[in-house]
Amino acid sequence: MDIFLQQLINGLTVGSLYALVALGYTMVYGVMKLINFAHGDLVALSAFAGLTIYVEIFGEGTNSLFIVLSVFVITALIIAFVGVLLERLAYRPLRTAPRLSAVVSALGASLVIQNSIMLIWGPNMKIFPSNLFPSTIWNLNGVVFTFTQVMIMGISALLMVGLYIFINKTKMGTAIRATAIDQDAAKLMGINVNRVIMTIFIIGSALGAVAGLFIGINYRGITFDMGWTYGLNAFVAAIMGGIGNIPGAMLGGILLGLFNAMISGYISSEWAETFTFVLLVVILIFRPTGILGETIAEKV
Amino acid sequence: MRQSYKIAIVFLIVMGFFPLFSNSSWLAVGTTFLIYSVVAFSQDIILGRAGAFQMGHALFFGLGAYATAILNVHFGVPIIYTFIPAILIPLIMAIVLAGPIIHLKGDYLLVATIGFNIIFIQVIQNDIFGLTGGPNGIFGIDVVRIFGVEFMSQTAIYYMSFMLLTLTLLIMRNLDASKYGRAMFYINKDDIAAQSMGINVRYYKLYAFALGSAIAGAAGSMFAIQYSAVSPEAFNVVQSIMFFTIVLVGGSASLPGVLIGTFVMFVLPEIFREFATARYLVFGLAMILTMILRPRGIWPVKFGNIPNYLKKDTK
Repeated sequence: MDIFLQQLINGLTVGSLYALVALGYTMVYGVMKLINFAHGDLVALSAFAGLTIYVEIFGEGTNSLFIVLSVFVITALIIAFVGVLLERLAYRPLRTAPRLSAVVSALGASLVIQNSIMLIWGPNMKIFPSNLFPSTIWNLNGVVFTFTQVMIMGISALLMVGLYIFINKTKMGTAIRATAIDQDAAKLMGINVNRVIMTIFIIGSALGAVAGLFIGINYRGITFDMGWTYGLNAFVAAIMGGIGNIPGAMLGGILLGLFNAMISGYISSEWAETFTFVLLVVILIFRPTGILGETIAEKV
Repeated sequence: MRQSYKIAIVFLIVMGFFPLFSNSSWLAVGTTFLIYSVVAFSQDIILGRAGAFQMGHALFFGLGAYATAILNVHFGVPIIYTFIPAILIPLIMAIVLAGPIIHLKGDYLLVATIGFNIIFIQVIQNDIFGLTGGPNGIFGIDVVRIFGVEFMSQTAIYYMSFMLLTLTLLIMRNLDASKYGRAMFYINKDDIAAQSMGINVRYYKLYAFALGSAIAGAAGSMFAIQYSAVSPEAFNVVQSIMFFTIVLVGGSASLPGVLIGTFVMFVLPEIFREFATARYLVFGLAMILTMILRPRGIWPVKFGNIPNYLKKDTK
């Protein structure tokens, strides 16, 4: 039972991270029908940018609520800017091109970001400072969880609720949903589709940036190519939930995180990826458009 | 179509005389180019012709290579006989793996095939049954012997790859002229329309998968002979993405396009080895630029003189 509860905590932590990243994939897919392969690399870029901002501007070892908040906000702004730039330069010129051309462009953008990180920060693993969050550890009857894990779960949940409200209750959210259903019709209704697409890139990249910082803070070691691993897992999560569907991405992320944690806890982490993809294929065989795929008409 | 015959013949003549004018290191690059073009053509059958988003093609390339390596090194089967399982195993695996998911829509299929490739890499890295040699791979693959004659020089391997490519081009030509090729073409254009015209979409897509994978397996076997070793990183997802990109950067279903794509993606990086660290950055930029300037590939395929107002596939 202890193993179960411990892996439940770990799974929810990593699941929250997957869900945050998956939201970026699913929103872009919902509106543009494009797999944004560069999204995972934005997450990696965020961890490196956050590291540099913290160490260079505030100095390693300092910590206060203000500093932590500033690191998060500045990093999120930078990554959102890079996301918008990415859309402008690599995706917008291809909006009317065959679909696969944009996929190749996304793969190219992924290579560019990944190798830029490598050229700027070097090919070796960087260690994220440990003192951004207090290193408090709680032990409840043998189940250990850290302050960082609680923050990850709490803030991710908060962001997801915020996003859900934004998409469903605001004017911009309505515009995003309308554009996802039919871009041409949305244009005819006076929706500025370019603004909608910019907004989803800002939101998606900022959520990815938060996830990237959390990855740095929680796992410490960051490498230039880690975006691929997290990106792929998050993307699988988005597909499992039904890509284009926002609650689907959240569900898929949490589900995949828990599944991975249980596999590592009870079977072996050597085969983790194999089990992940076997689960994906099994889900796709029975539900070809993901768990929440067609059942919910609202698609974003 | 006539034009692509001419290009194919010129290309084969040039490649046929290439060994006379090159030293051994360029000959090795040339052999690799021939093998990768075969894989790129097999990817083109699945992605460019049948229009199935396959992003795990290195899996079938790898299955062929590992079939040759395992049978030769662990069981002492002569190389020449390992060609048959190296073609049959990928073919059967393609049907078994793609069968249950062939009905998936584009991007879902793409992710599932990436998944197959990742599972394959994890299986060979974990040294399953002690056969695959783990992360180091398998070394010491024998040379090809036919009636006691050893084909071990680089030139001999080059011409074996050349024969394989010629054979592949012949298969592609026959495919284009056959019922199967036409069916794939219609499915690629519009699978719902194809279905309602009585084309069995599932069957032809699976056929494309099986044919493409069998050819990739033969190329994998050749790859194992060329390097006399196989290791997991030659068949990982990055390679699959490369094959996927080759077809789209060059031009789907276009013979010169696929050849140019292979040249750009595999030979140019060999030439620019000095810029080792920055070259993938340039590479990525080039991929974006090519797609923006030539969204249908560098050398897109043309089908007769269709008036512009009849072309609906610009979107």
